[in-house]
Amino acid sequence: MKKLLLLLLLPFLTQAQIKIRGKITGAKGEGLAFANVSLLDTYDGATTAEDGTYTFETDEKGGFRLQVSMIGYHTLIKEITLGSENLTVNLELKETINQLNAVVVSAGVFEASDSKRMVMLKPLDIVTTAGGNGDITSVMQLLPGSTRVGEQEGLFVRGGSAQETKTVIDGMIVQNPFFSSTPDVPQRGRFEPFMFKGTAFSTGGYSAQYGQALSSVLLLSTQDQLGTHTSTTASLNLAGTGVSHTHKGWITGAVYYTNIAPLLALVKNRFDFETVPQGIGTSLTINKNLKRNSHFKLYGTWSDNVSAMNLPSYDTAEESYRFSNRNKNMFSNASWKYVFKDETWIMNSGLSYSNNKDNLEIQDYSADRNDERTQARVVFTKLFGNSNANSLNFGGESHYISVGNRYYEYDFGFDDSYSALFAETEMYFTPKLAVRPGLRYEYTSILGESNLAPRLSLAYKVGQFSQFSFAGGRFYQNPEKEYLYVNPGLTFEQADHLILNYQVIKNKRTFRTEVFYKKYDRLVKEETDFFDPNPYRFPAGKTSNTGKGYARGFDMFFRDEKLIKNGDLWITYSFLDTEREFKNYPKQLTPTFAAKHNMSVVTKKFFTEISTNIGLTYSFASGRPVYALNDDFKGSELTKPFHSVSVMASKIKQTSNSFLVFYFLVDNLLGRDNIFGYRYSPDGTERYAVKSPMKTTVFFGLAWTFGKLNGRSKEADLNF
Amino acid sequence: MKKTLLVMFLAGSSLVVNAQKEKYEAAMTELAGVLQNEYEKSIMPEINKMERVANAEAKEWLPQYWVAYGLIKESYTTTNTAEKDVLLDKAEEYIKKAEALSPKNAEIEVLKANFSSARLIVDPMTRWQKYGALFEQHLAEAAKLDPQNPRVDYLRAANLFHTPEAFGGGKDKAKPYFESTLKKFETFKSPNSYSPVWGKIEAEYFLGQ
Repeated sequence: MKKLLLLLLLPFLTQAQIKIRGKITGAKGEGLAFANVSLLDTYDGATTAEDGTYTFETDEKGGFRLQVSMIGYHTLIKEITLGSENLTVNLELKETINQLNAVVVSAGVFEASDSKRMVMLKPLDIVTTAGGNGDITSVMQLLPGSTRVGEQEGLFVRGGSAQETKTVIDGMIVQNPFFSSTPDVPQRGRFEPFMFKGTAFSTGGYSAQYGQALSSVLLLSTQDQLGTHTSTTASLNLAGTGVSHTHKGWITGAVYYTNIAPLLALVKNRFDFETVPQGIGTSLTINKNLKRNSHFKLYGTWSDNVSAMNLPSYDTAEESYRFSNRNKNMFSNASWKYVFKDETWIMNSGLSYSNNKDNLEIQDYSADRNDERTQARVVFTKLFGNSNANSLNFGGESHYISVGNRYYEYDFGFDDSYSALFAETEMYFTPKLAVRPGLRYEYTSILGESNLAPRLSLAYKVGQFSQFSFAGGRFYQNPEKEYLYVNPGLTFEQADHLILNYQVIKNKRTFRTEVFYKKYDRLVKEETDFFDPNPYRFPAGKTSNTGKGYARGFDMFFRDEKLIKNGDLWITYSFLDTEREFKNYPKQLTPTFAAKHNMSVVTKKFFTEISTNIGLTYSFASGRPVYALNDDFKGSELTKPFHSVSVMASKIKQTSNSFLVFYFLVDNLLGRDNIFGYRYSPDGTERYAVKSPMKTTVFFGLAWTFGKLNGRSKEADLNF
Repeated sequence: MKKTLLVMFLAGSSLVVNAQKEKYEAAMTELAGVLQNEYEKSIMPEINKMERVANAEAKEWLPQYWVAYGLIKESYTTTNTAEKDVLLDKAEEYIKKAEALSPKNAEIEVLKANFSSARLIVDPMTRWQKYGALFEQHLAEAAKLDPQNPRVDYLRAANLFHTPEAFGGGKDKAKPYFESTLKKFETFKSPNSYSPVWGKIEAEYFLGQ
């Protein structure tokens, strides 16, 4: 009985406190400050001092758990027994892998993203960069590793042609990322920058999740649903007008009409149009968070454009021929993301259909270009290990492609079914060392062949703000369709990449440099005994996979976000040494699209008082090789170097339920007559310089949004 | 005897319960006071103490709330942007815990709006899109749950105060909201000595600017 009484009163009687003390250290024995030491199920505990030591008192007796937690470290629990003696408990914490300490695989990739860490650019940079004209590809051309080629659209990466770069939206290959090609007039990309929350531009050594690109992939990921508001945006500029409506944040429909007549009336140009480029287009975007862990996206766009122009025929100085085109293009992509219950398994799947038709008339001959692609893709991701920082990605994709070209009485075409399987894992051995091996298997029916492409990336953090990264692997691509029409017996073209990267990001300053080596093999080569430099000739002769080549060089990127208040400065420089024997080149030569030196300086500043962003860009490319008709390849003529200065300004005005953006840009401010190459008369005696049809370009317009914004405003609706 | 024992036992256990409750209230009152009013030095030690209470009182939403509140406040004063995000990652965990214990709570919605604003401040130019929208969404939800909550108006006012005029913000736009914050505080009654009361001194401070 007495015992029971004592037991009941025990909590009030025992006042004998004991002290618990000790030191909390990291892996190297360094004291950790501000760690939380707690005696679980009680309020007792302490915060460690600067040197990692702690001390606290408790009246508890018996078996308890002592927990140590600290931001950036794994929580540790130790069983202890509290008696009448003071206790000393020293513990060592293990670091988690987090954004403060983890290395990031960075070799060969230039990212613009909101959510990811250690990115080089932000999505907003794409619309605020002068000289980029709000076009994703044009901005990427200002980054290290790509060459500005003024007469043709596309990304020319480290000695690669434009066909060696693939554009990918949410994992899906975009068959026609640019408006239809016209000889010697570069076209804009079809997709507006603000559709995307992230852009990753690869300069090589890219992930096993992607293929069919010898040089580079441009990965675009579309926006997620933001908010639930309804708004309408109207836009008007020198090249057209459009209206889009967003209903409750999840569905957006847009229609637009383009016509460049106002631009042509205002800006002096060399165009000789019979029908000014004009067209209509429409798009639908659905972006819906379904249940808790499921997200559905649909994007569909359709457009119809016409133009007719007289192009120089190069027979004599005056002669021209008519080139007209009616283009109908559609692209659609549906994707579904599902996160499984424990949040360590994620599935991304997608289905896409695209169709492009060009009805051309070339000097009274009718011609057609058709292509169609249906693709499906699924990728599973498993997160595992320390802090779930490790991942395993595996999946597959399947494409059905149908392409055709008709010209006069010639009719070419083929169907191809292409499938790929891939697996890739990214593992952190320590927060400082990450390894990403991957493997890709591809089969394509037109070649009747398969390939296996290994990829490997490594990253090692050498200091708190600096790291080295390596990327390498093998990359395959089907030969261009013009070759496959005539000779389906060809095989894959291949390239091997090696890239070493070093970067420091500290205090709003970034320095990054890369050294690379790329080896081309099995490139398609034409057997001809006469060299025709015309890039638009049709290669009807014998071909084989006997071409080869290399590209090597380095590039540098420096960015300072501190020097200019509310502003930004970047400087890039790339050095490229490349030669290849391919197409109709009789021996290894520097291709006409490769410039040895490329440089750009980009600055911008936001003036708060007048709420205006002003940007200024200078870009430079050294001369590119010129090869004459039936050249003997003994001389080495280069075009004049390329220089351009561009400015842009955008003014923003926001009231409670409307948002107005006015923008103004001038491209090639100094009016320099850049020469991109030469075209030759049939007998080779005369040559004509290829120049930009507009020297100095002026462009302006406005976008006006009514209604509540879904957080998507700012320069979001800059519809250049 | 048996009866006496039972009475003693009941008295004893209720004493223990009362003692525990008193201890909880005392700790909470002290810590909530410091977390809300300290603007000079780091509140990391108090956040740690509150975390100990939160772990011991895993069924109470307020300790979880205060840990998240403290971490958000600490993130505003940290200069390293990566560290801000790491602090906020942890704040998010505690917001989730609080919400699981007390769903549809206006104070937690206000805290979520405050959290969105803290995420936004790490990189305003680019996070504006996502976190600006979330900020609005949580404030609207809070206002729906408790139209008289003065902190809804306070956060809206503080947000406007820090937004440039060109983007629809500015001192003048913020003023009426600061005033309505103070007006709502006139009738606002905190249910106990350790529930949120922040927003009043801050509103007064901003109105003096």
